[in-house]
Amino acid sequence: MANIHQKIRVEKLIRVAVHVGSLFPLAMVLWLMVTGNLGFNPVETVLHRTGHAAVALLVLSLAVTPLRRIFRLQFLGRLRKPLGLYAALYAGLHFAAFAVWDYRLNLNLIWMEIVEKPFLIVGLVSLIILVLLAGTSFRFWQRKLGKKWRWLQKTVYLAAGLAVIHYLLAVKGDLLTLQGAYTAPLIAGGLLILLLLLRIPFFYKPIQRFLNHQSAKPGEKE
Amino acid sequence: MADKKRHSVPLNRDEVTPKHIYQNRRQFLKQMGMVGLGALLASCAPRKPGASDIPPDAPVNGRTDELGDALTSYSAVTGYNNFYEFTTSKEQVASLAQNFETDPWSVRVDGLVNHPGVLSLEDMLANFNQEERIYRMRCVEGWSMVIPWVGFPLHKLLAEVEPTADARYVAFETAVVPDQMDAVDSGRFPFPYLEGLRLDEAQHDLTLLATGLYDEPMPPQNGAPIRLVVPWKYGFKSIKSIVRISLVAEEPPTLWNIVAPQEYGFYANVNPDVSHPRWSQATERRIGEPGRRETLFMNGYADEVMPLYEGMDLTIQF
Repeated sequence: MANIHQKIRVEKLIRVAVHVGSLFPLAMVLWLMVTGNLGFNPVETVLHRTGHAAVALLVLSLAVTPLRRIFRLQFLGRLRKPLGLYAALYAGLHFAAFAVWDYRLNLNLIWMEIVEKPFLIVGLVSLIILVLLAGTSFRFWQRKLGKKWRWLQKTVYLAAGLAVIHYLLAVKGDLLTLQGAYTAPLIAGGLLILLLLLRIPFFYKPIQRFLNHQSAKPGEKE
Repeated sequence: MADKKRHSVPLNRDEVTPKHIYQNRRQFLKQMGMVGLGALLASCAPRKPGASDIPPDAPVNGRTDELGDALTSYSAVTGYNNFYEFTTSKEQVASLAQNFETDPWSVRVDGLVNHPGVLSLEDMLANFNQEERIYRMRCVEGWSMVIPWVGFPLHKLLAEVEPTADARYVAFETAVVPDQMDAVDSGRFPFPYLEGLRLDEAQHDLTLLATGLYDEPMPPQNGAPIRLVVPWKYGFKSIKSIVRISLVAEEPPTLWNIVAPQEYGFYANVNPDVSHPRWSQATERRIGEPGRRETLFMNGYADEVMPLYEGMDLTIQF
């Protein structure tokens, strides 16, 4: 009995940690803003911080299902939605910093940037998908859309892939020869591919079996 | 999950949290949190003032460039730098470059010249009258500054060494000091940093060999002790910490052109009409100023430098 209570407590702790951790980058940006520590190029700092947070949370939200399956941790499933919503929040803030703060809503300039450059189009498409998914993430839409809802939510992979491409394109350097500061976006892209592969039974079943075998104790078999 | 049978797990004594710790767990967590928060706050603490006598945000006495734009603050000019040999993080260059050894320093001048030689920094400071030039600096990343440089026009040095009739380009090379430059061996870029100018560009009076800024010797993060400043070109052309200047016949290789030729041309003239393949160059963020401003053709130096490019299609030779 004590075990169950402990488990519930741990699960609750993890849930709280997810919310606190997800809000931390925003708190940090606000703190730096209030204390005047955003550096010499504040817009760039905020763009980088919100962008990094969005990509990291997207990757984390996509890690939920594979981890839940492999480690048989059902409660993790409940973290997927808040992680996805936070990712959409940061993507929205990222765009707001670009459009409102940097470009002062100068629609001519914004439009010129968007139509001219793949870099921005890719980011914008990713943002639109994320906002759409966030908007339809609630039960009302889940019921209303039925099967279509599940299909729609799967486009999060497209959004994540585009977000990573957007990140890669923002780096000054050459992607083909990898000369430039590509470490972080490449890690994000690698994780994304890994997480996609781990959804395929061919990859995750053997791991699951292996882990099961390792931890097999009497009474713990399903 | 719910239908799973649960058995209690046998534990050894040392696997059980001692009672007094368990009972104080909230206190413990609070303390851990404090330690973490303290570390975070410490990382935000203002940087220690440098050895310079100039206070971080010295008023710039309303000084401006010839267009009436205010000088960028000393703290921004010396605290926000691209110097990839040290780090790709612009606000960390200043601290990482503090111990960069620049005394003694000399520049080898060779190639197609009548008087090749090694010039010490002292020689150059003594032989060439040092003057102040207030120039705009436009980075290809889309930000800009107004900087009061101290230095002398490159043509004075070139006149001393006398380029031969075959010399058509000038090649520049930055120092490579792996034990003082943290990122030089990272393998991300093919250092040494190389740059080049056509001879007539190098001989233009705007082209400066800068030895200082804000009336003080060049700080390490800005390219101590001597660097190039070519104000009508994107900042990456203005090579830092120069150890070699060679007069050559063919267009010399330049670092960003080697890395990504489709994105960084040899000329790299500031041009709002020629976009970087991935982002527009139409506007820029002036450091210390809110919002964006329109980027000027040739960074505002078109009248002075356009004769250099007569008959050239600047969208092809970018």
